[in-house]
Amino acid sequence: MGREVSESCVDSLLTEMVSSYCDRFYANKPELAARRIEAIGFQVGHQLSERYTMERPRFSDNLEAIKFICKDFWSELFKKQIDNLKTNHKGTFVLQDNRFRWLARMSIDPSSEDGDLSQDNSAPVTENKAAQATSMHLYFPCGIIRGALSNLGIPCAVSADISSLPACELLVMECIRLYLLSYAHCIAFISTARYSFFSQSRSSCMIIVIFHPCISERALRFR
Amino acid sequence: MIVCVAVVGHQNNPLYIQSFTEADDALKLHHIVHCSLDVIDERVNNPKKSGPTLNETFLGLLYPTENYKVYGYLTNTKVKFIVVTTDLDVRDADVRNFFRKFHVAYVDAVSNPFHVPGKKITSRTFAERVSTIVKSFGLSSAG
Repeated sequence: MGREVSESCVDSLLTEMVSSYCDRFYANKPELAARRIEAIGFQVGHQLSERYTMERPRFSDNLEAIKFICKDFWSELFKKQIDNLKTNHKGTFVLQDNRFRWLARMSIDPSSEDGDLSQDNSAPVTENKAAQATSMHLYFPCGIIRGALSNLGIPCAVSADISSLPACELLVMECIRLYLLSYAHCIAFISTARYSFFSQSRSSCMIIVIFHPCISERALRFR
Repeated sequence: MIVCVAVVGHQNNPLYIQSFTEADDALKLHHIVHCSLDVIDERVNNPKKSGPTLNETFLGLLYPTENYKVYGYLTNTKVKFIVVTTDLDVRDADVRNFFRKFHVAYVDAVSNPFHVPGKKITSRTFAERVSTIVKSFGLSSAG
């Protein structure tokens, strides 16, 4: 299909989507907005994976599918490949992109809103605000990856973390587990709700505590 | 001549079945398609050959019945395409070509944002494209 759209249109669309969902539709419920954006990403990823696996032979295992995501899928979407892929060989993969295209044009306003912060505190505070502001923009690509992998037969949960602005890391965890991410703002992602908390067998990090105050029982039964 | 094409999802749910004969044997063709799903499962789970043909999408002739030949194709996303044809001297290359064009049409139909994955494909454009591809299959193998 030969139709092209300019990249600035895609950037504007994504920015507008995040701002509509966060500021208008679900104004005081950021976790609901995040879930909706991630669901949109899921559908897009589902359909894109159909298109981009069209000419290829079938994948023989999960690692090949993840490598497809890192190389071909990422090149089709972002014109570059993933810079670093790490795995613990137990179903968790970390994809690192040192210059994520959709974050490349974002910057954080360095002046903080509270005028009475001392100079010492400003660096970690602005980093915190940066993480908060940009984390909403990462739900869509997480959804895309989750949709693509689930269409290839690998149910998983995907979460993202930003260390420094245009670099980001995406953590892909194959299903069935409830995880705690060890960052200051903890978010628990659940991929299938069919298994109870205590049925972990292979994983060594059997963590059940959830820090995020907004995750409720309803969220735990999500999907 | 192709008498029936079918698209079956990864949970063996039918997404699209269309027969191209005037006769009333649509049910028999559906039954043939249904039986061929077992053959596909068996082929995928017990691969006979190893090497370059192991993970190919085109599965080849699934099984011949008395009047029909059934060909299968399995995509990366575990969606199966099944073609039932009455020709006795169908060439492999023609069927592969057919499946390639069919795959393109399927991807376009599924990329419709109003299409719900897992439900039947209801797009008229897809149906028209499929009948065009089916008609051109008959012509190219006759020529």
